[in-house]
Amino acid sequence: MIVVDRLTKTYGSKKAVDDLSFTVTPGRVTGFLGPNGSGKSTTMRCMLGLDAADTGSVTFDGKRYSELNQPLTHVGSLLDAGDAHKGRSARNHLRWIAMTHGFPESRVDEVLHQVGMSEVARTKVGKFSLGMRQRLGLAVALLGNPQTVILDEPANGLDPEGIRWTREVMRSLADAGRSVLVSSHQLVELSMVADDLIVIGQGKLISAGPISQFMTQHAKTWVRVVSPQFDALAALVIAQGGTVERTSEGGDFHSVTAIQIGEIASVNNIVLHELSPQTGSLEEAFLDATDASVEFRGESTSPTTDGGQ
Amino acid sequence: MLGTFRSELFKMTTTRAIKVLLGFAVFLPVVIFTLTLIYGFQDGVMGSPAVVNIASTAPLVALLLGVVGVMCATQEYSQGTIRITLVATPNRQRVYVAKLLTTLYLSIVSTAILLALCLSATQIVMTIRDGQFELIGNDARVLVSFFLMTTVVSIFGLSLGLIFKSGPGAISAVLLWPTIAEGMVFGLLSVATQKNVFRWAPIQNGFQLVSEFTMEDNNSWNVSLLLFVAFVAIFAAVGASLFMKRDA
Repeated sequence: MIVVDRLTKTYGSKKAVDDLSFTVTPGRVTGFLGPNGSGKSTTMRCMLGLDAADTGSVTFDGKRYSELNQPLTHVGSLLDAGDAHKGRSARNHLRWIAMTHGFPESRVDEVLHQVGMSEVARTKVGKFSLGMRQRLGLAVALLGNPQTVILDEPANGLDPEGIRWTREVMRSLADAGRSVLVSSHQLVELSMVADDLIVIGQGKLISAGPISQFMTQHAKTWVRVVSPQFDALAALVIAQGGTVERTSEGGDFHSVTAIQIGEIASVNNIVLHELSPQTGSLEEAFLDATDASVEFRGESTSPTTDGGQ
Repeated sequence: MLGTFRSELFKMTTTRAIKVLLGFAVFLPVVIFTLTLIYGFQDGVMGSPAVVNIASTAPLVALLLGVVGVMCATQEYSQGTIRITLVATPNRQRVYVAKLLTTLYLSIVSTAILLALCLSATQIVMTIRDGQFELIGNDARVLVSFFLMTTVVSIFGLSLGLIFKSGPGAISAVLLWPTIAEGMVFGLLSVATQKNVFRWAPIQNGFQLVSEFTMEDNNSWNVSLLLFVAFVAIFAAVGASLFMKRDA
């Protein structure tokens, strides 16, 4: 279990992490979300003792990272796939890390096999694609067969097969009772694997808890209805306080539940071809939750209409 | 500790740049010395002349090993492996000591190989020429000084690497300070103070350790060693302190 307690980190006058507290529980995949510059990577670096926090603490099963004996057997991490010497082979990259803990070379070969890199074990890292480096980074994280895994953008640069494989690795680690904290901007992927979400913005906690709770709080919900008597139904629903948005096949009802619509239709003998509750995506919920704390925002990419010639 | 040291040593010996540098540091002086030996000496008993020639390669060897020291620190920062190093070994003091030992080990082993090759070459040439080779006068002290000089300069390099974190900056400093900057600074001070301040130039004092003879204007061997080591110790302390405190 990871416990982050009132963590604060300042660079100059900028508070990168501001009084942040959350818990990552064993047996669950916890997604760590936030816009660019929100403090995710800084938090992860502070967790691992790479950056010194101003105040607060991070403990892994009750111990600070610096107090862990043989830390790689407790916590495995992937912070940046580029953290490898380009002139060293994949195997040698893992060997020097293994030497710090006295792991046998067979363990190096084992994790290389696990991440599907046995055939390129003696190839220099400089020749690897970003996806291959990600796999090597995952091999580093898994080297000590740790109880806790911290991954920063593990699927970045991976092909679809690699993304699915990463997802399966995270799921299997959590199913084996381990704590998995994963930061990612690939929200669709994250929604497929995460059990819990921690969302931060400008270094502060926005939301922490099960993904379903986050979706309930931040995702839009509506009811899709297709009916040959749509206009009649719409009038009745609006009278009950709902709102309607027409679509090509029917319409979307807001501020009213599917049960209410079903009952209205039943009482008024209105035929329904579709009545389905809809929930917005994790991406929409995330954007809604972090809208106020986005630090770097691009301009609209809509084409200009003033001629521009 | 042993695991961390082994890991650091492995890191240093599995990159081409370090291998090339170590190769240059060992074999270039050996080649230069052997050619000098073959063409520059007459038959007969040979002691000091050969050792003086071996010692004349010391600044070159020391500077190359200084660059190796720099790379022991900076290649970690430039390649991003420092994060993995510190995640694997959160005790930074242990990592620093391991880096120091690795730098010392590479420096001592390289110098030992170089001296063994040079002395063996001398022995072979003298045997072929029916002459004899033996250490006389201050020869033994000069050879010990060779070790001292190369190891201390390599620590100087490591310290600069930890201070700068950037390879080009630290390499420039380790090469330019002893060869150009120190001379300019102490030369200007000498002119300004109308005194021979140059004799207190720390790295030059280090280079003088390998002199067979002490000139009147120079410091004694002991004072030179003290100045040289004290100067590098300051950088070592600053480098270690920054390494312990700084965010990775």
